Amino acid sequence: MNRMVRVAKESIRMMKGNRLRVLIMALGVAVGVASLTMMICVSKGAYLEVMDIVNRQGQDLLQVRPGTDKHTGLPSGSREVVSLVEEDVEAILLHVGNIRAASPVKDRKEVEVKYGDKFTLSRIFGITPVWAEIRDFGPSKGEFISSEDLNFAARVCLIGQTVKKNLFGDTDPIGQTIRIKDVPFNVKGELEWKGISSAGRDRDDRIVIPISTYSKRLFREIKLNQIVITIGDTSHLDKTVEDVRAVLRKRHKLAEGEPDDFAMRTPQDLIDLAYGTTRSLINLLTGIAAVSLLVAGVVIVNIMLASVSARRAEIGIRRALGARKSDILRQFLMESLVISMLGGVLGTILGYGGSILLSSLQVTASVVTPLALVAAIITCSLIALVFGIFPARKAANQNPVDALRA
Amino acid sequence: MSEIDSMIKVKNITKSYIKGSMITHVLCGITLFIEKGEYVAIMGTSGTGKSTLMNIIGCLDKPTSGQLELGGVDAYQLDDDAISALRNKSIGFVFQQFFFLERTTALDNVLLPLLYADTYPADAIPRAKQVLVNVGLEDRTKYLANELSGGQQQRVAIARALINDPDVILADEPTGNLDSESTAEVLKIFHRLHKEGRTIVVVTHDREVAGHAQRILELKDGQIKELDFSSKPKDSSDH
Ligand SMILES: Nc1ncnc2c1ncn2[C@@H]1O[C@H](COP(=O)(O)OP(=O)(O)OP(=O)(O)O)[C@@H](O)[C@H]1O
Ligand SMILES: [Mg+2]
Repeated sequence: MNRMVRVAKESIRMMKGNRLRVLIMALGVAVGVASLTMMICVSKGAYLEVMDIVNRQGQDLLQVRPGTDKHTGLPSGSREVVSLVEEDVEAILLHVGNIRAASPVKDRKEVEVKYGDKFTLSRIFGITPVWAEIRDFGPSKGEFISSEDLNFAARVCLIGQTVKKNLFGDTDPIGQTIRIKDVPFNVKGELEWKGISSAGRDRDDRIVIPISTYSKRLFREIKLNQIVITIGDTSHLDKTVEDVRAVLRKRHKLAEGEPDDFAMRTPQDLIDLAYGTTRSLINLLTGIAAVSLLVAGVVIVNIMLASVSARRAEIGIRRALGARKSDILRQFLMESLVISMLGGVLGTILGYGGSILLSSLQVTASVVTPLALVAAIITCSLIALVFGIFPARKAANQNPVDALRA
Repeated sequence: MSEIDSMIKVKNITKSYIKGSMITHVLCGITLFIEKGEYVAIMGTSGTGKSTLMNIIGCLDKPTSGQLELGGVDAYQLDDDAISALRNKSIGFVFQQFFFLERTTALDNVLLPLLYADTYPADAIPRAKQVLVNVGLEDRTKYLANELSGGQQQRVAIARALINDPDVILADEPTGNLDSESTAEVLKIFHRLHKEGRTIVVVTHDREVAGHAQRILELKDGQIKELDFSSKPKDSSDH
């Protein structure tokens, strides 16, 4: 049996005689590790949510909205701001290099739609043919809006899966005529299924039509609700965003120092938005973890130091019987390590439990990830080393003669 | 005494303590040879430095100056790990306080030196049981400190000192905390160990105890002096 193994076993044997002391120190570590675990699980949950959004929306999607609010594009509830028009899209395509496609978007919520005696309220999008590619939102059946449809302001549409269910049930909608605001439209296709958006909106409850038809037949307005852009090379995202901004500012004749009358949303903004709510919770948990781990460390130092002086005679006799300084050092380090790991295991279990609780109570997304366990193991080893080394060295360097006197 | 093959050679050892501006010379040039197989007692009044000398001989403490050879090895030339190994292999300590480890059985106490041996013997436990038999405690292997008498704890300490089969047994007031009956038992064990050919050095206040040794030395004013058997002191001192 290896000497180090013997000393480790001896260390554990000695600890068994002092379970209360071990438990107190382990509990301190457990609180810290529990917060750490929850912090990691919540972060992982938030990360997965964000990645889900980014994957759905695309890394290369740039959205421009009228108004000044970064996220909604709407200043103080005025949806009526007219700052973006179709000419803006043409200008962007003409003057900004790194752009693959751009589409103007007009939309209106809760528009009445009828098929026979069936009735529903849905959201109508006026778009151009490239929209499908930009939003990665194409037809699952039938054809998408074509250039001819756009040029001739054809009364054609594609319907989302929710609309199909509401109006058609199981029958095939393609080729049928529905009435949007009493204007008849031919159903050219079905949109692919998308599900619920991160904002909780049903993305399948929509109808898309050519933007020209939207303006001529349904709503006579020139303002755009959105411009969606696919960026070419995403590594030049920032530059491209600045170019788009410059073009729009110039077209809108904004003087230097005047704020933008439009807002741009990049994939990074989406990430920020999604993290926003979780971040404060993550910060709180990080703070608790840091403070409690530090407190746990200080508790370990103090209890271990007290233990070292209480066990002077033990250390002395071990040295007299042939223990090297390194044996004593290892014995006490092993003690902090076991205590710390015990706290780590306890804390990880508590943290995983808390994480499951958070997500089941729908406080926040939280995912039980093995990463938290790895982090706990690393943290606990570090705590044991950083806070255990001082008492252990004190024990090892104790003069055996002094330890045996008194 | 021949210097050549002495087991323990203490050469001109001094030990001084400096406390503040005060300097205390405890040992002032001690030279002492102890042969292999000798049974030696060291006496002296309290505070004369008997424990200090024993600790230096046992490589627990460093002298201020001088030289110590144990079985031909210049002990204080060794590094700390080698000195620890030397203590482990060659020296068996017995102290006045038994230093019986708490919450540790008699058997585990006896096994302690093997824990720190270079190689852990396969027969560690039978060996520990055998030394416990040798001190008459075969039926107490699983006992803890609070379940044993002082005399029994001291016998466990002796068994612990013996398990590594040391060259020298150093006992500092081994009977200081014991009644006469337990003292007699300890002395019997020492007598047997002596007969087996072990080297034993005992520090004691007790003339009775010292009387069992072959040779009695007295430490006084930092010097060591051979006590003659014929010139028996009048009276057993501060016990
Ligand atoms: N660490 C120290 N610092 C200062 N002085 C010390 C120290 N250790 C021992 N001494 C002094 O050295 C002297 C010898 O001490 P030692 O313990 O060797 O005496 P002793 O002969 O064993 O006494 P006793 O019979 O009471 O056990 C004492 O006067 C003591 O005060
Ligand atoms: Mg003494």
